[in-house]
Amino acid sequence: MAQFKNMIYGFEEFGFIVRDLLLGIKTIKYNWDETLTEMYLIGSKALPLVLLGGLFAGVILAIETGHQLKLFGATSLISRTVSLGMVRELGPVVTGLLLAARTGAKNSSEIGAMKLSDQIDALTAFGFNPVHKLVLPRTVAALIMFLPLTLIADITGILGGMLIAKQTFQIEIAWFWDTAINALKMKDLFVGFAKPFFFAFFISTISCYFGLKTKGGTTGLGKNTINAVVYSSIVILILDFIFTKIVWEVL
Amino acid sequence: MIELKNISLSFREKVILKDVSFRIEDTLTTVIVGPSGAGKSSILKIIAGLWKPDSGEIFFNGINVYHMSESEYQTMRKKIGIVFQSNALFDSLSVTENILYFLPERKSLTVSELNEKAERLLNFVNMDGTGDLYPEELSGGMKKRIAIARALAFNPDLILFDEPTTGLDPLNSASIIELIEKLKENGTTSVVVSHILNDVVELGEQIIVINDGLVVESGSIEKIMTSDEPFVNKFFYQLSKHNYIMKSNYNMYELINV
Repeated sequence: MAQFKNMIYGFEEFGFIVRDLLLGIKTIKYNWDETLTEMYLIGSKALPLVLLGGLFAGVILAIETGHQLKLFGATSLISRTVSLGMVRELGPVVTGLLLAARTGAKNSSEIGAMKLSDQIDALTAFGFNPVHKLVLPRTVAALIMFLPLTLIADITGILGGMLIAKQTFQIEIAWFWDTAINALKMKDLFVGFAKPFFFAFFISTISCYFGLKTKGGTTGLGKNTINAVVYSSIVILILDFIFTKIVWEVL
Repeated sequence: MIELKNISLSFREKVILKDVSFRIEDTLTTVIVGPSGAGKSSILKIIAGLWKPDSGEIFFNGINVYHMSESEYQTMRKKIGIVFQSNALFDSLSVTENILYFLPERKSLTVSELNEKAERLLNFVNMDGTGDLYPEELSGGMKKRIAIARALAFNPDLILFDEPTTGLDPLNSASIIELIEKLKENGTTSVVVSHILNDVVELGEQIIVINDGLVVESGSIEKIMTSDEPFVNKFFYQLSKHNYIMKSNYNMYELINV
């Protein structure tokens, strides 16, 4: 019962943060410096991680599907599987999960440490809304940076798939690219490019929420950082399921 | 002048403050004293507007702020500076940036005007030449003085100090006490939360003793020391046993044992 009560309190507090965030959207013009810093930290600092994540997702996808398709003599479909799989599913999800771990942990631990050392109270006491000052720049930076990072993961994934297709299944590079690009329809691009915005919003708000509610010293900080990563990851998978369902049943 | 009337506060089932009432007169230094967990810091956070009490009224110069919205309270906050026990300095900012970070006029002043303001404040707290350092490069006493300079940047009418000398060596404690006294000379009202007897003796013109969320005694140091309240006697006697008071015109130990 107590756990259920805490969960309701949690949803209520999260709702207040999202409300403050949306109401304070105009204050972003006062926080551009912080937003640019966050864009740099989320974007360029996460680039190697996303490059590697995307590349290996594409490579594994090509190997797994290639061997199955070979049984039916349909290895020429590898390019189509890799491009659709990367753009619609693996690109956004792998990027989302990697950024949930990296950006989510960063947001939660930074804000949590600020909470424990009274810096959040200091912001409020000196007339700033912590949600506008801390959560908003991080969320806007994530919203701006997640799409290009996802695109990079998509491209490196398809490149990885192409290498496997050429080396293992002897598929011509020109043929691979031609079929890979032709396989993509507008709805695939729409789904693949819409997901990062939702992932960015929820990773950022969930991780900042756990940072802001940190208490209980270093143990509490560690616990909330774990929660931020775990809950962000779960929300990414749930959102991905919802999107996939919509694509197949509505669009 | 600040007046708290019948303030009560609880977090879920835990009662923090019960019907707390007192007045803080202008230019007097008020010390709120009591054991750990008594509710002292909660009072400070209520005055600063960080926490909203469950019931009661808070008056700032006769204006009831209890029902004020967050945005209305912002104007009131500009008149209050706060020095946190942990100092709450921003690690990623230099000393100068920490001092200037909260200034509302930061965008309208030139860089040289801002630097001049920061230097003036650093000079006031005897920290000249430290503007380019970062908090991690400072000692506990230095951090406290920077936190005071930051609180002063607004030219507040009232400064709240949460345990300003806790964790500092005697020399640093003395310098912080001197700073608070210097603020009084400039006409700033200070409210100090402390459980250190030396702070009470050195700073307290008005003392409020809190125990278990209740105000058990208030008044001048003489009134507190001659109180019949058993908790006050016990608390100050225990404090005096662990504190060696260095003040020529006061010997607390003798006063208690009279």
